[in-house]
Amino acid sequence: MIEILSVTGPASVQDLGRFDQYRFGVGTSGAMDDVALRVGNIVLGNDENAAGIEIPMTPFKLRFGRDMAFALTGAGVEAEIAGRAIPPWWRLHARAGDILNIKAMSCGARSYLTVSGGIDVPVVLGSRSTQFRGEFGGLHGRPLLPGDSLPCTASTTTIGELGIEPADITLARSNAAADETIVRVVIAGEYDAFDAATQELFWSSSWKITPQSNRYGYRLQGPAVKPKAPIEKRSHGIVPGVIQIPPNGQPIIQMRDAQTSGGYPKIATVIRADLWRVGQARLGGRLRFEQTAYADALAAEDGMSAYLDRLRTNVRLVEEIRTCR
Amino acid sequence: MPIEMTDVERLAQILERSGVDAIEIEEPGLSLKLVVEKSARMAASPTPAAAAGPATDHSVLAKANVAGHFLAAHPWRDKPFVAPGQRIEAGAIVGLVKIGLLYAPIVAPAAGTVDAVIAETGATVGYGTPIARIRPLAESNPIN
Amino acid sequence: MTTPRISLLGTSALLFEAPGAFDLPHQRRIWSLAAMASKWQGIREAIPGITNLMLTFETPPRELDTLIAALNDGWDAAEGLAIGGREIRLPVTYGGEIGASLQSVADHCGLSVDDIVSIHAAPLYTVFALGSHPGYCYLGGMDPRITMPRRQTPLQRSAGGSVSIGGSQTGVSASPGPSGWHAIGHTTWTFFDPSRPTPAALAPGDTIRFEIKRVIR
Repeated sequence: MIEILSVTGPASVQDLGRFDQYRFGVGTSGAMDDVALRVGNIVLGNDENAAGIEIPMTPFKLRFGRDMAFALTGAGVEAEIAGRAIPPWWRLHARAGDILNIKAMSCGARSYLTVSGGIDVPVVLGSRSTQFRGEFGGLHGRPLLPGDSLPCTASTTTIGELGIEPADITLARSNAAADETIVRVVIAGEYDAFDAATQELFWSSSWKITPQSNRYGYRLQGPAVKPKAPIEKRSHGIVPGVIQIPPNGQPIIQMRDAQTSGGYPKIATVIRADLWRVGQARLGGRLRFEQTAYADALAAEDGMSAYLDRLRTNVRLVEEIRTCR
Repeated sequence: MPIEMTDVERLAQILERSGVDAIEIEEPGLSLKLVVEKSARMAASPTPAAAAGPATDHSVLAKANVAGHFLAAHPWRDKPFVAPGQRIEAGAIVGLVKIGLLYAPIVAPAAGTVDAVIAETGATVGYGTPIARIRPLAESNPIN
Repeated sequence: MTTPRISLLGTSALLFEAPGAFDLPHQRRIWSLAAMASKWQGIREAIPGITNLMLTFETPPRELDTLIAALNDGWDAAEGLAIGGREIRLPVTYGGEIGASLQSVADHCGLSVDDIVSIHAAPLYTVFALGSHPGYCYLGGMDPRITMPRRQTPLQRSAGGSVSIGGSQTGVSASPGPSGWHAIGHTTWTFFDPSRPTPAALAPGDTIRFEIKRVIR
């Protein structure tokens, strides 16, 4: 069991998401940075889809009700347990009664706490992710509050401390700039409804991430990108990553809690292999889009699978070396 | 990254210098193990501390327990884990060994004051390579 | 638009937009195409929209040509699927605190509040598709005389059960949330229950008749 002591902002229980309920109007939910959640689960020997806690703001404090291994991945945080500092992207062992204190977030936007065996909230419609609009999944379908108790199935076996190279470093793009997130996108249905100069503006702009950005969508600010003529489409399905252009010409990237349908023109879609980068982009930060072909987007997904495979192999290797000695 | 003959020589020197018996490097597609024959090493000693000079007679060493590359600081942090003169607790992290995508922590065997961080960032280290020299707490205030 | 439009939603999904009017015959062909496509290999779900269809991928196809051809052929072959849905009677309280836009819709349309209520409650509406949020239904069949454009700025929170008009469409929200539509009344019906295997109470092809329970002027 884990007891939440203090929480800032909408922290929630999330797994990888709920992917087959669109026809009932139910969106995916799930971790905004799915890579961080997967990595946190891999180093604990969990199923990659095990539920963890997504922490978007600090301070955040909890108490472990029993001995268990846990990991912190995602955003760079200043955290300590029982008064001892925890390095970024770290797996370690908590003792019953230990207090984990996440004091500040120095880079990135969401920290993930995973525990051995996963957070054991009930599976609702195929997932443990919190569905805020529908008020189900996660813990009672709502953000975490002080005093909440989260059930865990953790085994009490002690495993050694281990760090993981942050995905930002391993998966850094060669054209990445320090103060800007670059994400690859595939053009979408209404791309050709924008003239060449406007399309160029979309690609060349360094978009500012407004404070109205959250799990529902990332609202960007920059030069107005408007279609040649106003477009109002019949409502149709949309997925996380779709970039809509509302009448004011300011793009909105649909995120995990987005509506499942919409009617604004769509200029492009952030590829799945890069959506975690948006999830870690900070409010007030900058974002740039890079056009990519469908085949290259698939290749990027293969690259992500290869990265996760390599991580699994590395973890196995290190555990073997340690047990030998 | 293919391994060169010069790398092997360099590793052998590291082994001799550091008084380590064996080193292993394992990365995807690469596995290397070097073992020093005990009889061939004149200065061989079961306790590295005893082989050191009088100034460090009572010091203890934090050693690597896996092979890889040493990091004095986490890549996301400006400051190294420890600096000379710093008081640390037993079990405190003094550095990392990067092995593939992972960072194995090197921990202080005893509480005390950091004398020196011996290993250099980026250096190849192996099982038993000394990383930091620590003057244990009891010895840090000798009774005159 | 005389031929279907097919576009990508990244590597997660693909959108098929049918040519033709926003009417029941076209929607019935979409339902038919959805029933076909949901059985295709690699397709996770086939989700009807308003005269369009989104396919989400279990595994994204390496080659899209085969899938595109199958959709085009499927649309050409699709006979309207007449779903024998249920008819639901929904008692509605028009006006009041939740239906606070009733008067402004009347003003916009140049009609009386009573006219708006009787025109809105007259047709038998068909559930065209589900989407937006859990359990929400897009309805077809509203009388164009009570059309009112969506809000310039969406409301941060509108009540669950709000009966609203947005453009030429009407619908009932299944849960509280932001909305760009104009609420003219409310109902207390439950549209979504996550504990049921089929969590949405209504499905495409079902019909709704609004019953005037009360009008608060």
